[in-house]
Amino acid sequence: MPSGALLFQSVVLGLLLGGLYALLAAGLTLYFGIMRVVMIAHSAFLILAAYLAWWWHERLGLDPLLSMVVTVPLFFAAGVLLQRMLLARLRPATLTMMSVLLTFAVAVLIEGLLGYAFTGTQRRIQLDYGSAGFGLFGARIAVVKLIAFGLAGIALAGLYLVLKRTRFGWALRATIQHPDAARLVGIDTERIAGYGFGIGLATAAVGGTALALDTTIYPSLHWHWIGPLMAIIVVGGLGSVPGAAAAAMLLGLLQSLLQIPMGTTWAQTVFYLALFATLAFRPQGFFGGRLAQRF
Amino acid sequence: MASEIELVDIQAGYGRAAPVLRGFSVAVPAGSVVCLVGPNGAGKSTVLKVAAGLLRPRSGRLLVGGRDVTGLSPQRMLAAGVALVLQGHSVFREMTVAENVRLGGYTLTDQKRLAERVDFVKGLFPVVAERWGALAGLLSGGQQKQVEFARSLMVDPRVVLLDEPSMGLDPKATSTVFAQVRRMRDAGTAVLLVEQNARRALETADLGCVLDLGRVHLAGPAADLLADPQLGELYLGGRPGEKRPAAQEG
Repeated sequence: MPSGALLFQSVVLGLLLGGLYALLAAGLTLYFGIMRVVMIAHSAFLILAAYLAWWWHERLGLDPLLSMVVTVPLFFAAGVLLQRMLLARLRPATLTMMSVLLTFAVAVLIEGLLGYAFTGTQRRIQLDYGSAGFGLFGARIAVVKLIAFGLAGIALAGLYLVLKRTRFGWALRATIQHPDAARLVGIDTERIAGYGFGIGLATAAVGGTALALDTTIYPSLHWHWIGPLMAIIVVGGLGSVPGAAAAAMLLGLLQSLLQIPMGTTWAQTVFYLALFATLAFRPQGFFGGRLAQRF
Repeated sequence: MASEIELVDIQAGYGRAAPVLRGFSVAVPAGSVVCLVGPNGAGKSTVLKVAAGLLRPRSGRLLVGGRDVTGLSPQRMLAAGVALVLQGHSVFREMTVAENVRLGGYTLTDQKRLAERVDFVKGLFPVVAERWGALAGLLSGGQQKQVEFARSLMVDPRVVLLDEPSMGLDPKATSTVFAQVRRMRDAGTAVLLVEQNARRALETADLGCVLDLGRVHLAGPAADLLADPQLGELYLGGRPGEKRPAAQEG
């Protein structure tokens, strides 16, 4: 029987991890909501951002968090270009299937480029505050994990405000919910979809930086992430940003708790079990449906 | 009377297939409701797609307020004063009624004007004001249709195109929707209405136009069309109280 302190530690770590999952899954589900695109390359961009944060720290000697000044706008622009130059050219009838193939190719390309530029050697950022932490009711909380959670929280709050309070956000939500009607009220849905992709990829820039703070990275690491993220957006309801966030928190917490009896490797299966259960019993997701795109 | 929108000798179709509209013409005078009726496949919805800029005609002219707007995009047609309300339900389901209506004024940049239009449509459609903060997807079918009407009026269009507004609605909701069509007309907006429920549509409209095989089969005051026995038999399911001939068997 695990001690209360260990359980509490796992709950705290699960919530912190869930926050990061929530941010990454929000981007992924946004792509699907906007264009019914399954963006396999999302996690490859995540690892690219992590490498850029590592490079920023290693070569320039600056805090990796500052790399976001460059990577967030860069990834936003890359997302707009990716949507306008590649995905928008796919035929609507086969868009979802072809997007899997296309973005798979992009993921492999990014992995190859990372391997070419940085070799396959594992990298880890050595920070002055990397081992800092504090105690809370018997649990030890690493500062870098708290920073990652804070980054995810700020980015999600920013995303919420953009979607809920801005004219662009309204147009994006309208485009997601009924593209034809959106066009008829004068929204340039193609342009809005491009910007939506940009925002999705910008979340990968933030998430990758957060990930780099306390994770060892290597070019093929993105395959480790894409499965859980896909499971999260299916469980949350495809296209639903709040659904993805809720599913991410729940599954992150479950994963962390299951690590106590099952170990790290087997605890990961919780994502796939949840995915199978969702597809079998509630394909529309547990947090989507009527609540989908409620932002 | 000047026409708000006029389609002149329109030929239109999809891809390389034979044209759906073959020299179709119709004019919608200011402050009137014109309804298009006809059998399935006659080209009614195609007329609206051409009028809204969703389908470019192969030949013919489209005039709005006397200005030639043939071939303009839907966004530019909206700016020219043509708003389309789609068939079925097209509210943004997970947004509030307020957000739906305000999005109708997406192209308006003057906030004062936007506020004026919001007040106007809230006055015209009481249910919009009553359910202002509710999620649009939770409203009944008839209420959703009124939200769509309100949204389309936000830009103060010259003409509103309505594609089968009663589709999927119960009789009570249908009556409410047609009453609201008359209110839109009375408020000064011309309406071009496509409707399967031909009798209800003609009862609501000022003018009617019967399409068949992409051409105008019959046109005139709606009351005259309603009284036409041939039309009644062909498109209106017979006239009330009129004895229908027995179907031939064998």
